[in-house]
Amino acid sequence: MTLTQREAADAPLRVQRKSWADEEVFAQEMDRIFKHTWQFLAHDSEIPEPGDYVQRRMGRDRVIVVRGEDGQVRVFVNTCTHRGVPLCRADGGNASHFRCSYHGWTFTNTGDLRGITYRPDVYGDGGIDRKAFNLFQPAQVDSVFGLIFANWDPDAVNLREYLGESVWYLEAIMGKFDAGMEVVGTPVRNIVKANWKTEGENLSGDGYHTMITHATAVELGLFATSGDLEKLTDSLSPRFTGRTVDCGNGHTLRVQRLPVNIEGTRYWGYPQEMWDQFDRLLSPQQQEMMSALSVCHGSIFPNMSFIENFKTNVDGPEMHARYFRITIRYPISATHSEQLWFLLQPKDADPAWRRLSSLAYLRTNGPSGMFELDDTENFVGISEAASGDVARQLPVTYLGGLGHSAAAADLGWPGSVVEGDKTERTIRAFHRQWNALMGDLS
Amino acid sequence: MSADNLSSTGEYSAQVSGGVLSEITEFLANEAAAMDDRDYARWLTYVDERFVYRVPVPRTPDNAFAPHYDERSMLIDESRWSLEGQWFRRMDPQFLELSWAENPPVRFRHFVSNIRPRALKQAGAFEVRSNVMLVGTRQSDAPKYLTGERTDHLLKAPQGWQLLSRWVVLDQSVIDFPQLRVML
Repeated sequence: MTLTQREAADAPLRVQRKSWADEEVFAQEMDRIFKHTWQFLAHDSEIPEPGDYVQRRMGRDRVIVVRGEDGQVRVFVNTCTHRGVPLCRADGGNASHFRCSYHGWTFTNTGDLRGITYRPDVYGDGGIDRKAFNLFQPAQVDSVFGLIFANWDPDAVNLREYLGESVWYLEAIMGKFDAGMEVVGTPVRNIVKANWKTEGENLSGDGYHTMITHATAVELGLFATSGDLEKLTDSLSPRFTGRTVDCGNGHTLRVQRLPVNIEGTRYWGYPQEMWDQFDRLLSPQQQEMMSALSVCHGSIFPNMSFIENFKTNVDGPEMHARYFRITIRYPISATHSEQLWFLLQPKDADPAWRRLSSLAYLRTNGPSGMFELDDTENFVGISEAASGDVARQLPVTYLGGLGHSAAAADLGWPGSVVEGDKTERTIRAFHRQWNALMGDLS
Repeated sequence: MSADNLSSTGEYSAQVSGGVLSEITEFLANEAAAMDDRDYARWLTYVDERFVYRVPVPRTPDNAFAPHYDERSMLIDESRWSLEGQWFRRMDPQFLELSWAENPPVRFRHFVSNIRPRALKQAGAFEVRSNVMLVGTRQSDAPKYLTGERTDHLLKAPQGWQLLSRWVVLDQSVIDFPQLRVML
């Protein structure tokens, strides 16, 4: 596969609107993107014990993510190697074996074909080579911070190299807890009437839309105002500041800081007894990123996004908390996707804070949250309008932030860091990677 | 005090009379109508100060007898405070123009049936199970459907019936609905 240059030079680029509605483009995406890129499937905490499994997708293929009796996590295409019937019908559970409902072929949770029913009757004296019918697997499976990814392509670069500089930022989010993080319960799944790319483009780092799309939610007090912040510190600054980061390979993020002038670290939104952990586990540069954080969100190419976010007054006045959410979007068709929503929390955190953090998530950026409702109208609308025969050939405009300047070198954050977050820089980076994999569409 | 405290008794007393069933049926119809009319001020008159509303995440478990939801994680988790102070205020004249997802609104229609009340030990308190179908129609799209089972706690107060809590188990595990911020 072709990888774009890390820290690729930013420049205008052209994307046709049919990219969000055309079935031929979609079919090419399935072939050229989803068969060659690493895709996020599950978190370690969802399958802690041998035999634990969840059913997920890679592109449009259903896969079983299972921890084998040997403790190793493997990924199998959810289809019998005999006649193709799915082996697993539940969303998750625990199983030592998977047995096909059609002719009863049975596989271990390490993927080996263990049993063939009526073997002498069916396959006679010549028999059948059982070892030739083990379950189909992606070429590569690996994990980082418990996040399990897989890739069909044996020639693709390994996961760490693929994620590149984004690992440092994921560490700042997920690596600051002594006990680690866990997924809370079962992820929500829903159908969105929009192309799979639309939400990821936004979450890649669009700090331009916030005060328009989310005007009501901000007015209703869910997003920090100076009134909220002056109760936390007496050193306010006039405005929010933000940066975006291009980590290469289409992975980007945005970091917005609360408008405060403070010395030292303040991890508002977490219980204060946890702050020492963060100072101990994060580098000084990562501490600067996570201290006084308003929001950090980004996208891992192609279909995973993450957000750590400070939300205010979520269950009453001065009830503020941060939450951390991961979403993925499975492609269904050019105009439909299935979204999965994972809430992750530090394992040993105070239960009352965990409850508040889950409300901060659900009531703002959860599937039923106020921010998400208004965002979704935009994503659905992009696919609806791009279905027109004239509109599909029109370009979109991604010129925002081209004049922004690079962050000072002594900031020490990896990747290409640029000041200002009212920008479309990260969406350009997404589409540069998309163009590199898709080739010429004209 | 949380409305949850009522469920912890878990005990039922005598059978509910036909008159009480009729009152509860009428109450649930009026409550649903207030929602469908988007008359939130009226709806709030049916709801106790302690009201909580939760919808756990639906799922397909690997055991035919396990619940088809996961109570560790929620799709919706609201209180009267959050509904009154945040959710409903989106429709206030001062906010409506920029509440993009409500303007135009998704048209909701409730169908409530199979109402099964049981009296709880506390005088005037009832647990009421019912089936709910919510139809949502967004703009020119075809209607979408959600079905589920409600477990409500109702209290017969001096000013009339009051809703103390609502817990709704959805049937669909991949939810296909125009908007997920829904009062089922």
